[in-house]
Amino acid sequence: MGARTVRRLLSKIGALLLTLFLSSVVIFSAVLLTPGDPVVALAGGVRPTPEMIDAIREQYQLDQPVWVQYLSWVGSVLTGDLGTSFVYKTEVIDLIAPRFGITFLLVIYTLVLIVVFGVGSGILAAVRRGRVEQAVLVGTSLGVAMPTFVVAIVLIWIFGRVLGWFPVYGPGEGLLDNLYHLTLPAVSLAVLYIAYISRITRGAVVAQLSSEHVETARVRGIPPSRIFRRHVFLNASPQLLSVAGTTIASLFAVAAIAEHAFGLGGIGVLLTEAAARKDLPVVQTLSLMLVALFVVLNAMVDVVIAIIDPDSARPRRDA
Amino acid sequence: MRISDGDVVARRWRNGALLSAVAALLLTGCSAPEAAPTDEPAPITELTSSLPAATTAVDEVRWGLVEGEPRSLVPGADYNFVWPNICDSLLRVSPDFGIEPGLAERAEFVDPVTFVINLRQGVTFSDGSAVTPEDVVFSLERSRQDVMSPYFGAFVLVSTIEVTGENQVTVNFTAPDSIFREAMTGGPGAILSKTFSEQQGPALGTSAGEILCAGPYALESWTPGSDITLVANDGYWDGAPLVQKLVFSFIPDGTTLTNALLAGEIDGAFNVPPASRAAFEDSDEGRLIVGPSTASFSFGPTRTDGPGANPKIRQALSMAIDREQYIQTVLNGLGEAQSTFVAPFTWEGSEAASVYQAAYDALPEPAFDLEAARALVEESGEDPSVPIRIAIPAGSKELSQTAAIVQAAAQQIGLTVEIDERQAADFASLFLPDPAARESVDFLATAGYQETPGVLTYPQLFVLPPEIGGIFNWTAYADPEVVGAVQAARTTPDPVGAAEAYVAAQEIFAPELLQVTLAGAYHTTFLNNRLTGVVTSVASYSSPWALHLGGQ
Repeated sequence: MGARTVRRLLSKIGALLLTLFLSSVVIFSAVLLTPGDPVVALAGGVRPTPEMIDAIREQYQLDQPVWVQYLSWVGSVLTGDLGTSFVYKTEVIDLIAPRFGITFLLVIYTLVLIVVFGVGSGILAAVRRGRVEQAVLVGTSLGVAMPTFVVAIVLIWIFGRVLGWFPVYGPGEGLLDNLYHLTLPAVSLAVLYIAYISRITRGAVVAQLSSEHVETARVRGIPPSRIFRRHVFLNASPQLLSVAGTTIASLFAVAAIAEHAFGLGGIGVLLTEAAARKDLPVVQTLSLMLVALFVVLNAMVDVVIAIIDPDSARPRRDA
Repeated sequence: MRISDGDVVARRWRNGALLSAVAALLLTGCSAPEAAPTDEPAPITELTSSLPAATTAVDEVRWGLVEGEPRSLVPGADYNFVWPNICDSLLRVSPDFGIEPGLAERAEFVDPVTFVINLRQGVTFSDGSAVTPEDVVFSLERSRQDVMSPYFGAFVLVSTIEVTGENQVTVNFTAPDSIFREAMTGGPGAILSKTFSEQQGPALGTSAGEILCAGPYALESWTPGSDITLVANDGYWDGAPLVQKLVFSFIPDGTTLTNALLAGEIDGAFNVPPASRAAFEDSDEGRLIVGPSTASFSFGPTRTDGPGANPKIRQALSMAIDREQYIQTVLNGLGEAQSTFVAPFTWEGSEAASVYQAAYDALPEPAFDLEAARALVEESGEDPSVPIRIAIPAGSKELSQTAAIVQAAAQQIGLTVEIDERQAADFASLFLPDPAARESVDFLATAGYQETPGVLTYPQLFVLPPEIGGIFNWTAYADPEVVGAVQAARTTPDPVGAAEAYVAAQEIFAPELLQVTLAGAYHTTFLNNRLTGVVTSVASYSSPWALHLGGQ
């Protein structure tokens, strides 16, 4: 490992820590600034008496200045204590752990669908101009315009109620059953992304197909399949990968819509409910997890791109 | 009594509406059963408070909780349908809101200030250990000494709770309390194991801990975000349940719940979305059971000044709303008009029911009269150009429709209503004791219900001064005659005497419309055709409603 790589790695870690710190401040203040009093969440759905409110404020340090609350929270997070949910009165980690698996599986499933159908149809549209391209373009225009929850309703109706092929509720038990239950949720989440990725793939591949080095390769008589693999796809992939990084991170955030519609009970639903109930420890932990995931994934994508295409790491581009 | 804080009752039908509406739009070609029926729904002619007891055993029943995941299974820590099957109370609410023996064979006042509890012989917790008088004292003291307990109010007149015999506990009072016995049918009278609860500490009843009680089922597991599994308590004093495993799934989305019920993936649920009534009624998988309830939709004033505090404005708004249309629109016909804010089912099982009913019948029914309403606005002396703000919790379809109906009605009589839709925590903050929280609004719309009998329980919160329990008396309503009569009702040991004192007060405060009641909502249950034996009235909030559940 060269000094340059180490320096790059260190600066990435530094950027990660800075991003996490800034997001933690933003998230902490955002949750505090939204209307509503966390005492209500702590009181547990009953109308608190003044004695009860005072007792709660003292117990949860809500009577302390904001910066004291922030520091005390950061302090406990750094020592591995994510805090206790205001609403459920259980450790935040115990709330997240059982829910994380199902969301993770859903995101991976969705991602597979996106890669297979999004990238697949994009390449197809770029290579087979004409009818196929038209069909993909029309399909993707529809796809980007379909909100996830609408897709979910249509899928539940057709495949759950009319045909009865797929379950419409719950995550199921065991991996195979999980996948069976997650099919409709994954498809409903994937539709929009498939359309989006398909269009990006098509654009990137078309650009490469008409580039000089591909022309040159063609003139030199290299077989088309080899040209596609070595020149077109490889050169188009950095663009796809950078989109993929943000896609995965955002899937964790939007998974809530499918989790809600299909009663999956993952971390997405936990986050939206916690935000509405002002369950500060849960919101803060989950938001930070998402930010960290986003930053880490992007860093990983950068590394992979640098491996595939070392040129892109240097400040010059191929002419 | 529970008032929805946007997180409790109001959320029970949330979101379903929007989704069904979109589905209907999208799928008109496929004749979606969720689409609004073109003809008016049939009126409900019969209410069912319980289904015949099951006769055959069932391995597993899956129950949907549209209220979402409970915060805790400790009675009172959160409203939910799970704990009443785990924790038995000293007395039991019957499906028709009467009082039956529970863990106590007898629990009654032997004189106006002495309440004696005689425990059932040989009754045990679900682990087989005996329920002792010490457990009773522990459980009651938990609520009495803890200001954080929602049941604190039920014990304010209690002076001591002592073991007075091998199977006996005596509760002494500083003054007679006519509603204490009724409270013992619900969460305030639920008995927990002392040793076990003390071992659990703060984890008691949460997803990280356990709970030990003497109900028909015992907690087996709780997977956060997914489900709670109960198993039959074979040693239950009133016979073992026929269902081996009762699994509660958290399905906070009304449409998801509807789909899961209609597909047979979930066996049953309470508080199913009224918007899907037609789909439930047409289902081959299960049936919709409509039961009596104390639940109602209403809106009420939030502060001492402004248009909301003016009774004439409240009366005018009330007169401008067509109740029949309200019930069709908001409840899809699953409710009825109500003359005051205490529903008649509240006194259904009372010894003094005839006194309450006669007084209720004498109250004028809510009239729909725009002319008279306009005249009242004129008389009120309020400036009609000042907008009236009504707060509702975000995500409740029914309350959002309610606010829209109030807004339209107000416009008819020359008033302007602005709707202030708030997120759950923000809406719930309106219920904090500090009046400053309510300064920015004039009314708030809620759905509430009462889970145990006791006519006085709810209205006293509105008519008494705040310092003696009127926690929702936000307009500083103070009528000495009403206060005197309500206090007399609470401290009169004889039920008929208490009822007479109460109805005298009701005659004075009812016309003031301290809550403008829009409709009583029926208790709805959807149950798979293979099952029976469920309590289908509002008593399911506080009684072991799944005790007789099982196969047809």
